[in-house]
Amino acid sequence: MDYNNLIALLNKLAQEFLFLDSRELDIPTAGKFLNFLEEIMDEAKKQKVVPVRNCAAGLSQILENVILDTIPDKEGAAALFESGLHLMQEIADSFKNTGEYKGGIQDFQEKVSAMAGLGGMTAQSAAASGSEEVLAASGESVPEEALQIQDESLTRDFIAEGLEYIEEIEINILNLENEPENKDYINAIFRPFHSIKGVASFLNLERIRSLAHNLESLLDKARNGEIDVTPALIDVVLDGADALKTLIGQLRDVLEGKQVEKADLDIPSLEARIHRVEQGFDSGSGAKKIGEILVDEGVISQEILEETLSKGNAPDKKVGQTLIEQGVVKPKQVSQALRKQVDQVTDLTTIRVDTVKLDDLIDMVGELVITQSMISQALKQQVNIDKRLVRDISQFFRITSALQRVSTSLRMIPIKQTFQRMSRLVRDLAKNAGKVVSVEMVGEDTEIDRNMVDEIYNPLVHMIRNSVDHGLETPEERIRAGKPERGIITLKAYHRGGNIVIEISDDGRGLDKQKILNKALKAGLVHGDDSLSDQEIYRMIFLPGLSTAEKVTDVSGRGVGMDVVKRAVEKLRGKIEIESAVGEGTTFITRFPLTLAIIDGMIVKVGQESYILPTNSIRQALRPPRESYNCVVGKGETINAMGQLMPLIRMYEVLNIEPEYKNPWEAIAVIVDGESGSRCLMVDKIIGKAEVVVKSLGEGLKNIRGLAGGAILGNGRIGLIIDTEGLFELADERLTQQ
Amino acid sequence: MSEKNIKVLIVDDFATMRKVVRNLLKQVGYDDIVEAEDGVMALKALKSQKIDFIISDWNMPNMTGLELLKAVRADAELAGTPFLMVTAEALQDNVVAAVKAGVNNYIVKPFTAEVLNEKIKKIMEGINK
Repeated sequence: MDYNNLIALLNKLAQEFLFLDSRELDIPTAGKFLNFLEEIMDEAKKQKVVPVRNCAAGLSQILENVILDTIPDKEGAAALFESGLHLMQEIADSFKNTGEYKGGIQDFQEKVSAMAGLGGMTAQSAAASGSEEVLAASGESVPEEALQIQDESLTRDFIAEGLEYIEEIEINILNLENEPENKDYINAIFRPFHSIKGVASFLNLERIRSLAHNLESLLDKARNGEIDVTPALIDVVLDGADALKTLIGQLRDVLEGKQVEKADLDIPSLEARIHRVEQGFDSGSGAKKIGEILVDEGVISQEILEETLSKGNAPDKKVGQTLIEQGVVKPKQVSQALRKQVDQVTDLTTIRVDTVKLDDLIDMVGELVITQSMISQALKQQVNIDKRLVRDISQFFRITSALQRVSTSLRMIPIKQTFQRMSRLVRDLAKNAGKVVSVEMVGEDTEIDRNMVDEIYNPLVHMIRNSVDHGLETPEERIRAGKPERGIITLKAYHRGGNIVIEISDDGRGLDKQKILNKALKAGLVHGDDSLSDQEIYRMIFLPGLSTAEKVTDVSGRGVGMDVVKRAVEKLRGKIEIESAVGEGTTFITRFPLTLAIIDGMIVKVGQESYILPTNSIRQALRPPRESYNCVVGKGETINAMGQLMPLIRMYEVLNIEPEYKNPWEAIAVIVDGESGSRCLMVDKIIGKAEVVVKSLGEGLKNIRGLAGGAILGNGRIGLIIDTEGLFELADERLTQQ
Repeated sequence: MSEKNIKVLIVDDFATMRKVVRNLLKQVGYDDIVEAEDGVMALKALKSQKIDFIISDWNMPNMTGLELLKAVRADAELAGTPFLMVTAEALQDNVVAAVKAGVNNYIVKPFTAEVLNEKIKKIMEGINK
């Protein structure tokens, strides 16, 4: 064994101690020494010098108590530290000379535990009394009048920031619910509670502080893995966040001199619930324990229950059983309580289902609806038909439609979460842009297909960026324009005619028509003598390469953007409109179908095949007169419809099938709007309009240009859904190849 | 250096909390104050200007107060900067870890301007000795 290294370390520490200016161990010194002692402990362990290791551990304990300021006798602590140092040196020397140490270190250890133990005791009792205080403070509900505002400006900041933080908590807790194991989410919830608590303690907001503190320590336990993230925990945290929101809201009312609304808040019972979850008692939020039910019913008192629970020496025994054995309740009362409990459990109305299963279900229901329409068509062709069968089948149809409605509604979720994400984004963007913005939400409970939510997010984000960056003015400009410094972005959602409408409005400067026109003129997109309506001018911001932003920021103003937004919206079969008034603001109105699973289409026939054109892109269908047809060499064929020349696309050519008619004036021309203008699609006939359930063509045929999917039609045959943009591209390529 | 002429960096993710600390500092005569909303921003600030004193929260996103402390101590240029850690309650493990990492002192929320002043004074005295 080589003890030289250990001895050198000990000597160095002793030397450092000797050169201390005062006989007091301050914090930086304690830190340095702790690291030293760690090294010494490692080395002592390596060389198997157990007494030194134990001694060093004792010294670390002294230092830790010095740091935590739990030893009143500073000089005594330093003296004890010194004696420990000498003891270690002595032991190490003895090991070097004889390979052992005859003396004991018990004496030293006892002194350490006397000093540190005492300190530890006071620290613990202080902590304990602290938590009792918390309980006491929350127990006797603080009267509303006690809400005293200490520092108005700070309190205002606290209200605004606190509410934002609670929103953040709400979002993250939903994430946590999906991934209860993810520590990042717990952390993301823990931190805002922590921050709220910290500021509330400065502002003497005792109720907020206490509640945030309780939630924080609950989450701390979850973070450290001491308790699991159960639905009960999530519920109680959400309720806690709600209660905090209400408390902060009351604070705001006080500040604004408003009558504080009497809120239905039971903070003590909420805090008691938090403690129960913290101790792992509450397994489910809905179902109460037998004991609790008995207490509620007044059969036994809380004291008796607690007494029984604390005895808990027979873990496999049920509380009810123990209570019966004690003779405090009758078996009948317990069985009644049990029945009540079962009722409560069955009362829990939500379950979680994998979305894949849900998608499958909706898919199957789609098939069912199609089969139904096949039966219905077949039925019409029967002549002699059993009346009873007709009645039964019509009953069956009603059920199918109801089933379809219900199953689609299963996948609907409120748009709230998306809005909340966006409001967070606005906050960040506004900060970067040096603007003061608040977000208002209207109709956040409006529901939308879960599968749509992610799809619409990106285009919406881009519009919001546009609003914050270009729509809203800087605070100085706003003040100059006589507007409040704080800009408002409103997010609004509602249902209209089978669509969800999402409006993003700002109260900023509004679109500058002249500026847009000038840009468009410069880019050669319009001619000086074109007379354009406001709408037409506004729509130009969706043209590629047109951005009126003078300054390029990191998010928008690079000329890509609004055209991308429009394309993304249209890809989701959505529409976008703009309303704007100079000096008053701009509103983007987007409409999306509630679901992508069903499409409103027009069934057309080319040769023997049926195709479905999405109705929202069809402008008009007509049989073109012979004289409206025109063919220019190198430019392709055109149809003159209502004074406009439109390129003609012969569907049969692009799709390479044999049509019924080859002359446009015998066929039907369907005018379809597209990104790059409208075109005429030449088809044989129009069969009709139908709502069809969109089916994927499967992995192998997923990316075929011109086709968006397939659908089973009423006659049981398959119809392909046309992707108009893709079809246009194919047609253009054919033209250039010729 | 006259003790009130120091430039203090306040690091906290909660803006209101930064304002609280700023107000307290002003009450006791410290006027030269910079703010950062997390450890990453704090390091940026430390690199771009001369900062004499850091007051940092423990619990922050991106980079915790402890991580910031370690980063400061590991940087040759910044290593000597006085560092006061703000904690919510004196959690033994946290405080000891911070002390081991070389914090100059810690302060427990909520604190008064006087306590803050004392802590700063004490740290500055310890350094100027």
